[in-house]
Amino acid sequence: MLGILREKAVLTLLVLVAAGVGIGAGHNRALDRGSPFLIDEALLLVLRPSASLFHTIHVAANTAVRVARPRHSLLRENAELRREVTRLRTENAALAEAAHQNARLRPALGLRQSAKAHVIASEVISRRESTWFDTATIDKGRRAGVRKGLAVVTTGWRLVGQVLSTDAFSSRIVALTDSDSAVGAMTQRSRSSGMLQGQSSDYLLLSYLPKDADVKVGDVVISSGMGQVVPKGLVVGRIVRVVRSEVMGSTKALVRPSIRLDQIEQVFIIKPGQSVPR
Amino acid sequence: MTYFWPVITLIAAAGLQGNLPSAVSVLGAKPDLVLVVLISYSLVADPAFGAGLGFAAGLLHGSLVGVSLGSFIVTRTITGFLAGLATTRLFSENPLVPALSAVWLTVVCEALFLLSNPRPDIAIALRKVAGECIGNAVLTLFVYFTLRNLETRRKIKLANARI
Repeated sequence: MLGILREKAVLTLLVLVAAGVGIGAGHNRALDRGSPFLIDEALLLVLRPSASLFHTIHVAANTAVRVARPRHSLLRENAELRREVTRLRTENAALAEAAHQNARLRPALGLRQSAKAHVIASEVISRRESTWFDTATIDKGRRAGVRKGLAVVTTGWRLVGQVLSTDAFSSRIVALTDSDSAVGAMTQRSRSSGMLQGQSSDYLLLSYLPKDADVKVGDVVISSGMGQVVPKGLVVGRIVRVVRSEVMGSTKALVRPSIRLDQIEQVFIIKPGQSVPR
Repeated sequence: MTYFWPVITLIAAAGLQGNLPSAVSVLGAKPDLVLVVLISYSLVADPAFGAGLGFAAGLLHGSLVGVSLGSFIVTRTITGFLAGLATTRLFSENPLVPALSAVWLTVVCEALFLLSNPRPDIAIALRKVAGECIGNAVLTLFVYFTLRNLETRRKIKLANARI
């Protein structure tokens, strides 16, 4: 036994494994405290340019593919977009009227006005770097005001996830679909609230719903604002299946997220103390 | 073998990993480029070098992901060591050897990783490991033989310089 331990390779392995355990413990402690971890920060200085370079190539390739499409495909897309613009203009006019009415009636009902949300716009430079975690790296860090735990959304106030950690110039975000991710959520229609958890798959699980919760397939799920980390009212997804257990006396719902990590290019980080404009 | 080029390749692989299009996914998992580079280099080196490179690979990959840094380091160090150990035991000219080595080393690496980071759905985890094994095996074939050729040329150059 001692003979094996004296071998250079085995000794190297043992020393490196021990160092790995030590570094891992230090990293976990820093992550829990939300404080920077020096080794991590130094390595990211090397890794960020590499990730940014491949991101630029990726974007350029996507643009080239889009530009090289045949003319008839572009014309069809143009017609579709024109229809979409007309529909959105109509919808926008109706929403503006509703917002105006809302602003007028809120003081009359004694309700607080929703503050305009302040966000930090950022670009995703790398995503799903590991098979096991639904994480991504964005190009804004502590210097831009990004902090651990802040909510990350994309266009249409669709919730992507939360900030996991930050360094000076970049941040890591964890998507809702990650198995370590959980957020308070409720259905928009019936206001039945529960806990939304990632499953490391394409779906989310809305659990801890009351036994007789009024939830059905097609219901839109929004963040409930519980815990005051993620603001209330952010769109999370749509229910695709409801499971009621008579024995356990509980209801669970499978939710399809409104956005997948693979589809995101730009994100917005909601600054603390902000609410979603309605 | 020196650590310079392997580490540069690992940094490039880590940068590319996060920008791989989802079209390259097999059974829901993309190939792990950092692991592919680690296995390919370690298969042409000794166990101590493999462990050292594995440590660097784990450090880089763990930093990029931002979670479970310790698990990344430990699993990659052991994988590099085992890959280096395999070199001394196997005949590596056969293309099946690096491909099959990539499969069993990926299984060992991910099994160790899952021990410290259990997933809620075992079926999904197994499917992802299978997909990653296929992707890693195919890529290792290309990377391994490219590295082997470069290493052979380097040795010939060194020998010529000595003569």
